[in-house]
Amino acid sequence: MSEIPGETKMAETTGKPRARGGFDIAHLLLEGRAFFALIAIIAIFSYLSPNYATIGNFLIMANHVAIFGLLAIGMLLVILNGGIDLSVGSVLGLSGVVAGYLMQGVELEWAGVILYPPVWAVVILTIGVGAFVGMVNGVLIAWFKVPAFVATLGTLYVARGVGLLMTNGLTFNKLSGTEALGNRGFEWLGFNRIAGVPIGVIVLTLVALIAGFLLMRTAFGRWLYSSGGNERAAELSGVPVRRVQVLVYMLSGVCAAIAGLVLSSQLTSAGPTAGFTYELTAIAAVVIGGAALTGGRGTVRGTMLGAFVIGFLSDGLVIIGVSSYWQTVFTGAVIVLAVLLNSIQYGGSGKRG
Amino acid sequence: MIKFTKRTLLAAATALPLMASSVWAEGLISIIVNDPANPYWFTEGEVAKATAEELGYEATVAAHKGDTNTESRLIDAAITNGAKAIILDPANADGSVGVVRKATEAGIPVFLVNAEINESGIAIAQLVSNNAQGAALGAVQWIEAVGDAGNFVEFFGNPADNNAATRSNGYNTVISQYPDLIKVAEEVANWDRTQGYNKMQSIMQANPDIQAVISGNDEMALGAIAALKEAGRLEGIIVGGFDGSPDAVEAVRNGEMAYTVLQPVAVFAREAVIQADYYIKNGTPMVADEKQLFDCLLITIDNVDNYTAPFTLTN
Repeated sequence: MSEIPGETKMAETTGKPRARGGFDIAHLLLEGRAFFALIAIIAIFSYLSPNYATIGNFLIMANHVAIFGLLAIGMLLVILNGGIDLSVGSVLGLSGVVAGYLMQGVELEWAGVILYPPVWAVVILTIGVGAFVGMVNGVLIAWFKVPAFVATLGTLYVARGVGLLMTNGLTFNKLSGTEALGNRGFEWLGFNRIAGVPIGVIVLTLVALIAGFLLMRTAFGRWLYSSGGNERAAELSGVPVRRVQVLVYMLSGVCAAIAGLVLSSQLTSAGPTAGFTYELTAIAAVVIGGAALTGGRGTVRGTMLGAFVIGFLSDGLVIIGVSSYWQTVFTGAVIVLAVLLNSIQYGGSGKRG
Repeated sequence: MIKFTKRTLLAAATALPLMASSVWAEGLISIIVNDPANPYWFTEGEVAKATAEELGYEATVAAHKGDTNTESRLIDAAITNGAKAIILDPANADGSVGVVRKATEAGIPVFLVNAEINESGIAIAQLVSNNAQGAALGAVQWIEAVGDAGNFVEFFGNPADNNAATRSNGYNTVISQYPDLIKVAEEVANWDRTQGYNKMQSIMQANPDIQAVISGNDEMALGAIAALKEAGRLEGIIVGGFDGSPDAVEAVRNGEMAYTVLQPVAVFAREAVIQADYYIKNGTPMVADEKQLFDCLLITIDNVDNYTAPFTLTN
C-alpha cells in the first residue's frame, strides 16, 4: 500500500471499500474511537453525578481543557514532523513569568525610568519569548542534529531555571494593572466570557482552526506531513526540511506561550512552577487523538478530541470525589488503551490501515 | 465490534464501585489540602473529614500539591458540586487570592487552614499555627542543645509559603543573639525530604565542620538526618525540626533528632470545620477575628511518650 501521507489521510477519511459488511462498522468505531470515548465518558459521569452534565460545567471543563489543548496543538505539529517537544510545560511557565515581569514594570536604571508596556505589547513580547525558545530548539535539532528528545529536555530545564531565577521562586501577582498606567485588561483573557463562552475556549478554537487550516490547505502542512513520514524522501523531493523543522518548533513555542498567557490570566498570577509536567499530558492528548509518535500521521480534530477526553475524565473524577491518585491511574490507563488501539489501526504492515 | 463493547462494559464495571452518593446529607464540605504524601497534610485532611462527617456532612478531600492551576480546578469542582463550605490549605499566599475570591463570589464560604493568603476580608477565617511562637520555642531549645558557638546549616521551606519566612525569621531572631553561632549554609528544600537529603549531601562536601542543623519542617530535617547517617556523621550533630510528624517523633525517640515543634494541625483542622458548620447554620462567623493563631508545643525526648496519635500530644 502506498505510504504517501496525503493518500493515507484520504484513506482515513473516505473509509475502506465495502468488501465485508460487519468489518466496516468495526473500522468506523476504531477510527472514531476518541469521539466514542468522549461520549462514553460524558455518559458515565452524567450517570454518576447530577452536577456533571450541565452547560455551565461543560464550559468550565472546556476552560480547563483550553490550556492542555493549546499545548497539544503545538505538540501535534512537532510530532507530525517526527520530533517531540518536551519543553512546552517549561515554556508555559516561563511565558507566564515574562508576562508578569513586564506587567510589574520594567526598570531601566541607566535611563532612570520604569516602563509599563500596554497589555497588547506584553502579549506580543511574551509570544516572542515562546517563539525564541522554539527557535533555539529548532536550530539545535535541525542544524546541529541533536536528537529532539535530548534538545527539548535540555530546554525544559533551562527555561524552568530562567523562570525560577527571574522570580526567586516566588510569584508575580500584580497582573491586573492600574488605570493610571494604562495597562489594564490582562485578566480579560482569563475571566471574561463572550456570549457565555470563556475566552480561553475561544482562543483554543481559533488556534485549532488556524492549525487545521495550516495542515490541510497550505504547502507548509504538506511539507510537515511528508518530512514526518519519510524525511529523506521529503528532502530529496525538494521540501525545505530544516526550515520546516525550525518553524515547527517555533510554532510549538508560540502555542505554549499563548497557553501560558491564558493560564496566568485565569489565575491573575504567574508562578515559575506553572506547567510542571504539562508536556506529558500534551503528548497523551496527541496520542489519544490517533497521531503516530513516529510522525506523518495525525489531525487537529483527533488531538482536540484527545485533549477533551483527558480533561473531561480528570474533571469528572474530581467531581465525583475520587482520590487524585486514582486520577493518575486512569489517565495512564487511557493512554495505554489509546496506544494499543493506535497499533491495531496502523499495525500489520498496512493490511487494515 | 465485540472488542469495543467488551471494553466499554469493563470500563463501566470498574467505574461502578466509584459511584458517589448524589444526595449529600447536610451538604458537602470540600477539603483541599496540599499533598497527602506528607503526614502533616494527610492528618489535616483526615481530621477535617472526620469532623465534617461527625457533624453530619459529606466530605471529600482533594490535593493540589502546591500547583495553583490544580487548586483552581478543584475549587471549580467544589463550586460545581454545590459545596456548602470549602476548607482550603492555600498553595500560594498571593497566587491563591484569586481562587478564594472566586469561591466566595460563588456564595461558598472559605476557611483557610495552615497557611494564609495576603489579603483579608475574602475568606471567613484563616486558622494557622502561631509560627512565630513555634519558631522561637524551637530556636530556644536548639540553642540549649547546641550551646552558644558552632557552625550550623539552615533549611528553608517553599518561598511561596509565608510560613517558611516566618519560621526562618523566628530562628534568626533568637540565633543572631549569639555571634559565635555561624551559619555556613542556607538552602531552600521546599518542605521535601528528598531535597533536604540531596542538599545536605552537597553542604557536607563543602563544609566538613558542622555542629548543628535547624530546619523549617520535619521532612527536610529527616532528609538531612538520612544524609548525615549515610556519611556516618550523625553522631554529635544537633538536628531540629518543625511540625511534629510521626516520623520526626520517632527520630526524637531514637535520639537522632533533638526536638521538634508540634503544630496543632489536628486542633485547627477540627476547629475550621466546626466554624464552617457554625457559619453554614447561622450565617455569621463564629469568631470575630479572621486570622486565628494556634500555639505550638515542643516535643523533646522528655515528653515524647505523650505523643499518642499523629500530631496529638496528650498530657
